[in-house]
Amino acid sequence: MSKVAERTVKNLDRAFNPRSVAVVGDKQALGYMWLRSLSSFKGNVYSVQIDPHELPGIAELGVENYRGLLGIPGPVDYVIAAVPRAVAPRIVEDCIKKGVGGVGFFTSGFAETNTEEGIRLQQEITDLASKAGLNLIGPNCVGLYNPRIGLRHTVAQAYGEEGSVGFIAQSGTHATLFSIVGHHHGIKISKSVSYGNAVVLDSTDFLDYMGADEETEVIGMYIEGVKDGKRFFDCLREVASRKPVLIWKGGETEAGARATASHTGALAESSVVWQAVIRQCGAIKVDNLDEMVDIIKALLYIKPATGTRVGLIAMSGGQSVVITDVFAKAGMEVPLLTESSYERLATFFSIIGGSYRNPFDISSAFLMVEDPVSNLTNMLDIMDKDPNIDSVVLELFPVIRPLTQDHETAEPILDTISVFNERSQKPLIIIVTAAYSDALAAETRDKLVKRGIPSFSNFERAAKTLRKLADYHQSRREQSWN
Amino acid sequence: MPSKIISAALKDKSPVLTEIESKQLMSEAGIPVIESRLAKSKSQAVSMSKETGFPVVLKIVSPDIIHKSDSGGVKLGLGNATQVGKAYTEIVAAAKRTNPKARIHGVSVQQMAKPGVEVIMGMSKDAQFGPVLMFGLGGVFVEVLKDVAFRIVPLVRRDASQMIREIKGYPLLEGYRGQEPANITVLEDLLLKLSDFVDKTPEIKELDLNPILAYSDGAVAVDARVILESQA
Repeated sequence: MSKVAERTVKNLDRAFNPRSVAVVGDKQALGYMWLRSLSSFKGNVYSVQIDPHELPGIAELGVENYRGLLGIPGPVDYVIAAVPRAVAPRIVEDCIKKGVGGVGFFTSGFAETNTEEGIRLQQEITDLASKAGLNLIGPNCVGLYNPRIGLRHTVAQAYGEEGSVGFIAQSGTHATLFSIVGHHHGIKISKSVSYGNAVVLDSTDFLDYMGADEETEVIGMYIEGVKDGKRFFDCLREVASRKPVLIWKGGETEAGARATASHTGALAESSVVWQAVIRQCGAIKVDNLDEMVDIIKALLYIKPATGTRVGLIAMSGGQSVVITDVFAKAGMEVPLLTESSYERLATFFSIIGGSYRNPFDISSAFLMVEDPVSNLTNMLDIMDKDPNIDSVVLELFPVIRPLTQDHETAEPILDTISVFNERSQKPLIIIVTAAYSDALAAETRDKLVKRGIPSFSNFERAAKTLRKLADYHQSRREQSWN
Repeated sequence: MPSKIISAALKDKSPVLTEIESKQLMSEAGIPVIESRLAKSKSQAVSMSKETGFPVVLKIVSPDIIHKSDSGGVKLGLGNATQVGKAYTEIVAAAKRTNPKARIHGVSVQQMAKPGVEVIMGMSKDAQFGPVLMFGLGGVFVEVLKDVAFRIVPLVRRDASQMIREIKGYPLLEGYRGQEPANITVLEDLLLKLSDFVDKTPEIKELDLNPILAYSDGAVAVDARVILESQA
């Protein structure tokens, strides 16, 4: 790491883990969104506001207000600036004088508006911050999120827990949505950043930081473009050799106007070059938020598979046909079990209308037979011991009310799944299909998340995730030789 | 230090190298090519063909004609002196007809290579990531199906190995229906040489080796196209 990079990381660390935060320009019109979001913050929160009309609202929130950053006693580690754009250069100057760890500019209206005034102001804050070595994040972004210490950018975000996933997004919407949707699926964030116009700090700086951050074990990125492709490439290759990095590239269909005279030039569109970059660096390409969430939760919670042979358990005849198609199309094998497994199954499998080759069709009558828990325990155990199977896939069909509402039936079934998940060396993939009710499916998903077991909302998402994980582990093995 | 071919072309302000110049440049980079010689007249084309040995291939040589076969500028498999003479006349006439303003240096004469699996390798520059290499199967696979793979320069052997195996048509390289398989290690070596060469030669803007004929014991480029960066 270069000396410059070291210094950046050190200062960034102060901004990502602040002990004091100042919000400049929060106001009634914004619903005091910044100060309210910081109600969870563990350290000192200050407000900087000169408009007398705003002062009572700020006082009501119990936050101390100052007329300027420089008036705040003691150090300020992170500043959130929500000021009118014309004031931005003065705030940057104050941040420099105050010696803050970093400033996130929520303020927009800069170069993205393509107006003369916006471009001029953006250049002004860029020059000021670059010259002084100030960690300016944005503008036009929601900045930093650190749930462990309650540093948030919306009250909808969780806080108080430690996490291991770093998220880096150009877009504030994607940063916010990932943190909220991910949380439903048991993804806990260590740090996240939205970096907007990236005038001083770019995706590469944050990737470098999260790569070095000990709390962060997996990194997700939403990128529209990078400032210095070569630097990004080198950084990504280095970080991805140590931690999984997932990349969701926005703007893939942009039509680049390129004058080319060769076949190669005509075919080298930005999207295929990005695909090459991701592959070459050993990162994982995802195409949307759902895929980002699915693969990250699988990396966090699902044991790495030793092969591509799956044992499938579905809850009806029709589903067992379709689940086989879906996993086979994703390149997974659905082999027969060993004879001894079938002999064991024959001793207890008495579900009318069910069958037990592979997939097992246990039919929704499953929960009405005499001893569903012991049947499920036995089926999972057979899959666990069978040498023909690498991963176990179980469909849960929450139309079965007992799974959510009848506590006496649901808990032992979920316990059975938990016990298997803890004991078995084989990956377990749960699919909670929402056939009749999204609400029931979500309830079941939440119950599983509480037990540290992720679930997928349909066969396709589960199969695609398993495929991508298998490809990733394969590429990790290839990456180790040159 | 840039090759003499590059310095000369830059001095002449002609960023599009001819096939002959392109092949000389590739040869300097250690990439096997079928040698092309420039014939400035019909009789020269005939005598060069006899020296090379039949069958031969004739192609138009003009810095202004990039897509040679589209302009009737390529004749393959010419088996004797009469065919060569006729081809020479036809190629020059077609070039003058389709590109009246084109500067015509003459016609290139080269040996007709034995058949093999056609592959394409190329380089272009990405605005963000700099030089990228492309690999694919030649002909319809690259032109219609766009079955190609890219990597950022410089490549390591793993990159070369992965990009060759990444294309959908890879099984064709392993020998399809009794066809001679391509030697994958040789293709990897070529990609690595090309990567090394373009990495050291920033004057090159775009490059196509199309096609390269791949055999079980080697590979050879039968056409090459190099375009230099225009000097400011």
